[in-house]
Amino acid sequence: MTLNSEVETLKRVPLFNGIDAAKLKLLAFISDRLYFSEGEHLCDQGEDGDSAYIIMDGAADVVVETPNGPAKVAEASVNDVVGEIAILCDVPRTATVVAASDMETLAISKDNFLKLLREFPDMSLEVMRVLGQRLDRMNRELVALRSQRAE
Amino acid sequence: MEKSLFRFVWRYSRRQQLTLFLITLLSFPILYVTLELPKLIVNDAISGENFPRDFFGLELGQIDYLLALCFSFLGLVVLNNAVKYVLNVYRGLVGERMLRRLRFELYRRVLLFRLPRFRKLSSGEIIPMITAEVEPLGGFIGDAVALPAFQGGQLLVYLTFIFVQDPFLGAAAITFYPIQGYIIPKLQKRVNMLNKERVKNVRRIADRVGESVQGITEIHANDTTQWHLAELADRLHANFKIRFAVFRRKYLIKFINNFINQLTPFFFYSIGGYLVIKGDVSFGALVAVLAAYKDLAGPWKELLTYYQQQADVRVKYQAVIENFDVPDLYDLKRITDLPTDEMRDAVKGEIKAESISYTGDAAGQELNGLSFAIEPGSTVSFSGEDGTGRTELMAMLSGLLSPDSGKVTLGGLALDDMPESLIGQRLAYIGVAPQIFSGTIRSNLRYGLRHRPVADPNDLDDLAERLREASLTGNTQYVVEALWEDYPAAGVETSGELDLRAVELLDQVGLGDDIYQMGLRSRFPEDLDDDIRAKIVSARQRLYDHVSADKVLASKIAFWVPDAFNPMATLAENLFFATSSDRSMSIGMLSENTRIREFLNASGTRPFLVEIGMAVAEALTELFAELDAESSLLDSLNLVTAEELQEYKQLLTRAETDGVEKMPRDDSRRFVSLAFRLIPARHRLGVMNEERAERIVALRQAFRDSLSDEEKTDFAFFDRDGVHPSFSIAENLIFGMPRADRRGSQETVNKLVAEAIERDDLKPYVMQAGLDFDVGVMGGALSVGQKRKIALVRALLKAPDIIVADEVLQGGRDDEAVLNTVSGAMKGKTIIFGVNRPELTQGVDTIFVMEGGRIKASGVPADVLSS
Repeated sequence: MTLNSEVETLKRVPLFNGIDAAKLKLLAFISDRLYFSEGEHLCDQGEDGDSAYIIMDGAADVVVETPNGPAKVAEASVNDVVGEIAILCDVPRTATVVAASDMETLAISKDNFLKLLREFPDMSLEVMRVLGQRLDRMNRELVALRSQRAE
Repeated sequence: MEKSLFRFVWRYSRRQQLTLFLITLLSFPILYVTLELPKLIVNDAISGENFPRDFFGLELGQIDYLLALCFSFLGLVVLNNAVKYVLNVYRGLVGERMLRRLRFELYRRVLLFRLPRFRKLSSGEIIPMITAEVEPLGGFIGDAVALPAFQGGQLLVYLTFIFVQDPFLGAAAITFYPIQGYIIPKLQKRVNMLNKERVKNVRRIADRVGESVQGITEIHANDTTQWHLAELADRLHANFKIRFAVFRRKYLIKFINNFINQLTPFFFYSIGGYLVIKGDVSFGALVAVLAAYKDLAGPWKELLTYYQQQADVRVKYQAVIENFDVPDLYDLKRITDLPTDEMRDAVKGEIKAESISYTGDAAGQELNGLSFAIEPGSTVSFSGEDGTGRTELMAMLSGLLSPDSGKVTLGGLALDDMPESLIGQRLAYIGVAPQIFSGTIRSNLRYGLRHRPVADPNDLDDLAERLREASLTGNTQYVVEALWEDYPAAGVETSGELDLRAVELLDQVGLGDDIYQMGLRSRFPEDLDDDIRAKIVSARQRLYDHVSADKVLASKIAFWVPDAFNPMATLAENLFFATSSDRSMSIGMLSENTRIREFLNASGTRPFLVEIGMAVAEALTELFAELDAESSLLDSLNLVTAEELQEYKQLLTRAETDGVEKMPRDDSRRFVSLAFRLIPARHRLGVMNEERAERIVALRQAFRDSLSDEEKTDFAFFDRDGVHPSFSIAENLIFGMPRADRRGSQETVNKLVAEAIERDDLKPYVMQAGLDFDVGVMGGALSVGQKRKIALVRALLKAPDIIVADEVLQGGRDDEAVLNTVSGAMKGKTIIFGVNRPELTQGVDTIFVMEGGRIKASGVPADVLSS
């Protein structure tokens, strides 16, 4: 696997799709290629998160602890990002991610990601834009939900 | 000590100086004959008549006579130089011996200084005094008698000759001696004073530099670099001013000497010429006198230089001695005497202070007429904040500080009169900032047991010679290679038992885990025996089998396997399957190794590695094209620095224009160095592929085969059936690397190592290795808490009768462990704690509360604490 294939994957991640290839290459370079065997945990709910994972191959289950035991709430597969909140701010992991098959991921550590943002302010703007869009979308969903309830 | 240099020289080298003097006398007749023989050759042999001649009973013809005289001359020349050689060597020997004696004596005096003295004299000042400042004395001492005798004798011979020719001219030749003799000492005196100042100034410079080195953390933390630079610049300027003043006078002296030496011939020409014209003196005599005067200048100049030099070293000697010749030195007996039986018993008796008073240099260091008694076998504490005199009292109870008035007695005998051999062996003191010496933890713990050698050193070839030299120079007769540790004093029989005891105590004071971790991490101890090596190798194999059987575990470690590429290791390690035996050699530097270079050339691997190096450089240049030089991204990579990257960029450009084939050797070596440093799994540059990895693995055996047995010792190979000397115990057990591309692999490795150690019962050896941990310069690698605990264990190991522990109890978590350890190890013996607050020692028999150098209250803890 070369950096170029990692860059291709990164391009397909919404958070990074406005960033030019050279910088994505750098981002890929300073990230870690992490492999997981089926059943291994990518992260555990409640622990301090320090990196986000971009799934390059394989799939994972997102599991949340409930009073009735663990419950699978979502699935993540190729090109999905899990745990990206952790590299933007200090919050505990909100879910456990378990490898559903053997997996290949690109792990972006918080330190390296912030370093890169500091180095390239353009990139911060791009990330902000994507986050803004997400916020906007969530706001709209919230409004829709409220109006549904009001009805 | 002898107040003047000459008294010192006379006292210790009288006989040698006389020997030197006699050898000097021996040289005069030889010198005379070597002057006489040429005359004889010319007058008697070459232009002589009446042959054959009688030569020591032989009848010789003219040619034979000439040859006999010439060979006699040659023989005498050889003899003359032989005498000079012996003289010089002996002079050097005398000087060196005296220098060794002087340094040893000065150092011994430092050890006899009382503690308060060190507040006025720092190591920065003492060190240059003992080392650099006395250095010129050695050279001078050899010359002290021989040089003036030799040069003075020659001077006399020449003067006599001139006087014989004509007394009047003789008088002229020495006319200016009295003037020189008057002016020069005056100038010299000023030079001496300046020199004294210079010496003090240089000492201060040394002190400042020493202080800066020690306080470098503070300097960086406070941004005071500029201030220190300015301060030193000021001292250097003062030094410059003094030296310049010295130069001016020194060369003035030279000027006067030279001038007068030239002036005398003026008188010869004028007065002598007048006398010759008048017919009072023959022309030949004048010429002879002039020639003799020329020879006269040499010895006279030497004598004057000698005078200047002796004035200089005399000042140096005094400037050094006045710092060591202090009245309040401990008596030498204190460190040489052995204790009497009475004293030995007394140590086990009651400690009593009888109205002791003391005044330190600063406020809060005074004690005002303290009187108290401590029963033998009891545990007491003195509590008082800093500035209550507590620290001074603690030092006094340990025999380290003497009261100004009153006395401390042990079993009725004054502590001050006891020799250090008793105080140091039977009393233990742990100060507020205990000293840890450079070396290992083990040697620091054993430090308290090294009083006198307990056994002779084995197999020292030069022991007899060393002892003889030592006695000739007043040095100690103990050799450092002897066995010094007094195991019975610590209540053990062998070195191994002592280690066990040390580990037990370290464990009790809560340092066991730290030592364990140090042991795991420090380099494999060289002196561990073959059994343990075998044990570690078999534990390694078991760990390997265990991990290999488990898919998840196996994915977390990249083992060192002979036929597999290790993506977590550098390319160089993969290629050579070894590290350099020299641990200071970095991976990149391997490209400079001759053996490696030869191998790369012979096997045709060089172009292959240059290709990889260039690919790495290209990939990096492209990646970091947009980053500026200070980018911290590059640092975290640990592959090249920003400057190096710039260099590689230029090398690449050059390779492109000139073609790779024409690449200069230096450039290609730089690329090889870069390739060597590449760790494929960490630096994912897409440079390595399976084919390249296979080629590298295939070279391993070839490289090994290319080395001779001797050359193999330069490398430490990754052999699964042997321990790797530069790996730690943990690394040796795992014999691989945690994979960076798996989550939690480091934690897994740690766990596996811990399990292996547990299963194979390797903990004792890890602890041994921990004891071997190098603490750095003055314990720089240890934390303050660790230092204090090591000092405590050091004190307990020597099993003293009395222990004085100042500020060892600090109100922290470890207090209970420390308290239990001390009372456990000191059962039935006297324990004295110094603490900041009385609450810290609730379990003691008596608490003394101090305030303002007095004891404000004392009694059982319950009473004292309630009031």
